[in-house]
Amino acid sequence: MSPQQVPSSLRDILADILEISPDEVTPEAGVGTVDSWDSFRHLQAILAIEGEYGVQFDPQRIAELTTVALIQTELEAKGVAL
Amino acid sequence: MQSDSVRQELRRSIKDAASRQDVSAVVKLCRTLLATSDKPADAMFCASAFSGIADALTGHLAARRLKAYVVRSVTVEPILPFLTTEAVLSNYVLDLHVGGYGSYVDELLNPQSALARFKPDIIFVLLEMDDIAGRLPELCADGIGESVDAEIEESVARVAQLLRSFRSANSARILFQGCLVPDSSSLGDVGDANLPHSLTSAVHQLNQRLAALCRTISDCVFFDVDHLAARYGRANWRDARMFLASRLPISAASFSAYSRGLIRSLSALFRAPRKVLCTDLDNTLWGGVLGEEGPDGIATGSTFPGNCYLEYQKFLKQLSSRGILLAIVSKNNEADVREAFQVRAADLGLRLDNFVATKISWSEKSDSLRELAKELSLGLDSFVFVDDNPVECEAIRQQLPEVTVVAAPVEEPWKLVELLSAQSFFDAAVVTDDDVNRLNEYKAQAQREELANSAGNRDEFLASLGIVCTFLSALDAPLARSVQLLAKTNQFNLTTRRHSAAEVEEFAASPGGQAVAVRVRDRFGDAGVVGLALARNQGDSCFIDSLLLSCRVIGRGIETALLAHLADNAIKFGATRLIGEFIATKKNAPCADFYLDHGFIEDTSPRNAQPDSVFYQLDLTAAAPASPQWLTLEGNESNEPSASAVVTP
Repeated sequence: MSPQQVPSSLRDILADILEISPDEVTPEAGVGTVDSWDSFRHLQAILAIEGEYGVQFDPQRIAELTTVALIQTELEAKGVAL
Repeated sequence: MQSDSVRQELRRSIKDAASRQDVSAVVKLCRTLLATSDKPADAMFCASAFSGIADALTGHLAARRLKAYVVRSVTVEPILPFLTTEAVLSNYVLDLHVGGYGSYVDELLNPQSALARFKPDIIFVLLEMDDIAGRLPELCADGIGESVDAEIEESVARVAQLLRSFRSANSARILFQGCLVPDSSSLGDVGDANLPHSLTSAVHQLNQRLAALCRTISDCVFFDVDHLAARYGRANWRDARMFLASRLPISAASFSAYSRGLIRSLSALFRAPRKVLCTDLDNTLWGGVLGEEGPDGIATGSTFPGNCYLEYQKFLKQLSSRGILLAIVSKNNEADVREAFQVRAADLGLRLDNFVATKISWSEKSDSLRELAKELSLGLDSFVFVDDNPVECEAIRQQLPEVTVVAAPVEEPWKLVELLSAQSFFDAAVVTDDDVNRLNEYKAQAQREELANSAGNRDEFLASLGIVCTFLSALDAPLARSVQLLAKTNQFNLTTRRHSAAEVEEFAASPGGQAVAVRVRDRFGDAGVVGLALARNQGDSCFIDSLLLSCRVIGRGIETALLAHLADNAIKFGATRLIGEFIATKKNAPCADFYLDHGFIEDTSPRNAQPDSVFYQLDLTAAAPASPQWLTLEGNESNEPSASAVVTP
């Protein structure tokens, strides 16, 4: 899959938080494939995404959103137009 | 919120500037970006940019690098990029280390803990109310709880034990965060407000006690997080969801306000406040233009909009009460201004004699500021300039970048006080008697200069001043004043070492060590404690680690008396040689030849010291320095560590 599949706003936030290049933010990137994506960066990323799109995730779901694609799906399920 | 393209453009410019290592551009652009965006991603972006240029920040912008250790019982990691970023914007580079989640007790008490090994310059102690006084919510539930006071006492005693025990083994500065007043309790708003022992009132009381505790611990500042929460809105300060799920104490939207508050409190531990506020008159101190509207036409007094200016005048007077010097810098006719202060005295919150100096003329304001700095013997970096005219403001920014410029909002005069109090440049965690007396002292200086012009030769003039020097232990100066002198003195400071209170205590307590302060008074007034010296005997030599004198009293032989006093003590402790050290800085040229002028010779023997140190030695068996004859000496300094050497009262 090409990086274009990740909407640019989401891609840029994750690139900033994880301190990686936007090209590395692919749908399948996540905890385990990106070295810097540890539990604190995860929390940081979630907070940044919540702030950007004006949504709040259920804390129990937060731990499960471990890839870019899962985050994207969750955002779409909350009605965010990406 | 700026448009996204502007934001992207700023970020590109930041990246470019960072790759060129143009640090001042990076800082400036990041400041612009963060002023309009509170997105966590942007703070993270700036934090990354700053971490890539940390060395250049300390090198080019003289940012102070601090090893900071966070002692915590909460999740702070998502806040750290904000903290790093706010630190850089205040010219600090933090090397942050975060302590274990539940290990704060061990970290503070155990001298072999990870904290002690990290050797921090500062520790942030960030605990929650459930760590400090966990039983309070339960005890306050009925609102009349008898045991609430006792629980607060016990809680404060526990914290006192932690902090004091840490302080006895470690000289790192301490920022201690108070408790957040819970936004709601089972008593409801009415019960919280009215019942004698509601949780709200108990936490307020607890915070007051904790702040009082911090005052008794050297180099410790109390951070009132509740005050900050109230300012930004308690309802949005904490996100209960994230606190309960991840123990994140602050909502993401408050990260930057919180970090800014932390850094503002930290600054009080490392930076001296500015000393002079120079104010413009027309449309700043009062409304309207005096030259056009006349003394009866300017706006000041109890009705709007004059009361906006009265508020500002009252604010200035309050600053002056704690030792901030006020000066007028205005383009006006001096006679008109004098008339206005007379005619409108009843409507003004200040009299002309509340100002230490006035520069009322048609000359350039940058020249006026330079003259003021010279007359007051103060560096321009201790000046704040307030003016409504954007052209004057810009001219000062460009010509005198050390001066802090505040543009008075001419269309919204009610905002000026708020604007000034939001700035940290006058922040001080400690105010000493000497600060309070400063205005009189500077006025006395003006009288002395008048006498100097009339007196014949220098010795006669100095003798006519009737100067009395009193030597006392630096611990009794009081200690807070000694530390303040170390932190603030630039011009007559031989080594410019910014020792902490704990380090001063070490000098006083070590065998053959000296920590001497000198108080000076003369027939015009009491200058207070204005000089300090720290020295230590090693073998047959006495090493002078620090010797400094407030620039207000230079040139009256007091520096010689201080040196002679050190030498006397050193001889008593068995030294035969005095070793002086000089470290040149941008500002201390006035004392570069101090040791040579006092008969020392340069000492080039190799030493394990800072590379820019120059050493001098004096054979005390041949000639010990003597105090000038025109000085009267008094000494109640004891060589034993005094009672106040103990940190706990």
